[in-house]
Amino acid sequence: MAPSMLKLSRPLMLVGHIILLVTALSIIAPLILVLGTSFKPANEIYGGLPWPRKFTLQNYYDVFEKLPFGRYLWNSLATTTLRVGGQLLIALFAAYAFARYNFPGRGLLFALVLGAMMIPPQLTFLPIYLLINKLGWFDTWAGLIVPNLAMPLAVFLLRQHLLAFPKELYDAAAMDGANELRILWSVVLPNIKPVMAALTVVLFVDCWNEYFWPLVITETDHAMTVQIGIRRFLDAERGDDLGPLMAAVTLISLPALAVFFACQRQIIQTFVSVGIKG
Amino acid sequence: MTQTLELVATTRIERTAARRKIDLRPAVFLAPFVVLVALFTYWPLIQLVYLSLFKLNRSGPDRFIGADNFLGVLDNAQFHDAAYNSLIYIFLSIPFKVFLPIPLAVFIWTMGAKLGNFYKAALFLPTLLSFVVVSIVWIWMLNPVMGLFQSVIGPLGLQMPSLLSDVASAIYVIIGVGAWKLIGFNILLYLAGLSAISRDYVEAMRLDGAGDWVVLRRLIVPLLSPTILFVAISTVVFTIQQVFTPIDVMTQGGPLNSTTNLFYLVYQYMFESFNVGYSAAGALLIFLLLGLIIAAKMIWFEKLVHYS
Repeated sequence: MAPSMLKLSRPLMLVGHIILLVTALSIIAPLILVLGTSFKPANEIYGGLPWPRKFTLQNYYDVFEKLPFGRYLWNSLATTTLRVGGQLLIALFAAYAFARYNFPGRGLLFALVLGAMMIPPQLTFLPIYLLINKLGWFDTWAGLIVPNLAMPLAVFLLRQHLLAFPKELYDAAAMDGANELRILWSVVLPNIKPVMAALTVVLFVDCWNEYFWPLVITETDHAMTVQIGIRRFLDAERGDDLGPLMAAVTLISLPALAVFFACQRQIIQTFVSVGIKG
Repeated sequence: MTQTLELVATTRIERTAARRKIDLRPAVFLAPFVVLVALFTYWPLIQLVYLSLFKLNRSGPDRFIGADNFLGVLDNAQFHDAAYNSLIYIFLSIPFKVFLPIPLAVFIWTMGAKLGNFYKAALFLPTLLSFVVVSIVWIWMLNPVMGLFQSVIGPLGLQMPSLLSDVASAIYVIIGVGAWKLIGFNILLYLAGLSAISRDYVEAMRLDGAGDWVVLRRLIVPLLSPTILFVAISTVVFTIQQVFTPIDVMTQGGPLNSTTNLFYLVYQYMFESFNVGYSAAGALLIFLLLGLIIAAKMIWFEKLVHYS
């Protein structure tokens, strides 16, 4: 936090505190209520109290009982992990090529990377959907993962960091007889750990929370992710089963929130810097 | 002199030698990315143009019909609603998501670290939640029968209106929910911009007797203008694309198309009316619109922004 650089007058400061407090409360209060409701027994759900009088985990059991929630979690966890891993590896390779080598067409290729950043995936979903169907990947993990493996933003960010590297570092390693993969693994990677970690968090949250593509490409428990699963649950119950619904909401929000509370400041920093560069 | 000439000669020879031996390493490293981007970003764009020009049946493109799909989409009442709503989504987003966070960021900026960090953390939370989760929480709170707001105002003898099923209000609910999710993140972007403003400027203006308002208007806002423009552009792009999720979860575009937008309509053309040609033509029209926005951004950047 930067030190206070501007001293506002007292009444203005007071207005500021009130507005911020209201805004912060409008965010925190609903989240606390969701958490509280998820621990309430059925007879307390529509009562006025924000917190359960009799604490119960029944709603959490119900989520797994009423829908194949375990399967959804597994699909989400596995496809997110595989996709983020693939995105990072592929982006690192591409960024390394852009930063380290001089080759004909480099400028044009990089312009195509920047251009791809501006094409929203919701625009091109139709031909991709048709292609995935032709490949027989509809409602599979491959259909969820493969079309999203190339991440232009990641290439852009990693290239920026790699460009700051002194070329001598590569050359010295090459002279010692290290091959390219070796250089990447033991020279490059240790030096970009922070940005890789930051990208991992952002990509993970992004993929875990994704709605549009899983909606298009999955249909059954075979590949359906938590976000689509909870949406189906909402449709089926339309609020009649609030306890389990709120338990499910809590469960699928937990991974990102847990990481956030573990290392708050870095996470905020990470999202802001990636957001600004994107 | 001769030495220099020799040196030049040898480097030239080396260079030609290097040029003759094509280095395959960058190609190998780039191959996976390039193939994937070509296959899943650029090829679909070309494919869209192709699909939009044909009448399609179940087995695929049937016959060439030129601009008929485009004319059909442009003549479609749903498309008019969607285009109109998209403009409302964009224009109302600017005051709530772009301008409102500026004073909030300035307030946090002038606070001590402890309180500031608390606010930053609280405001950041919705960024981490999925839009599905956010939509579900708001559906619950707004529910006129057993929602949160009803349980608060019910005992006072008041009845919560059914905001999401009312043509007049549904779109504003979705805009509000979008703002709830995005405001905190935009505040943090502004704080990053504010942290680059030097204390000396503020102090110099203070010495000249400038009050709060003058400092804000004449110093902070101009110096922040690159950030403001960046936030505006990213918010517009976010609003056009990401609002798909609350639309689909909360209203499915209804009631009476009052909340649908262009992306949602293109999705519906494909998966509800199964009209591939319309969907492709609609997507290309959005592409055109986005191109215009990006062009406007380039022009504005030159004109409006004060660079420090």
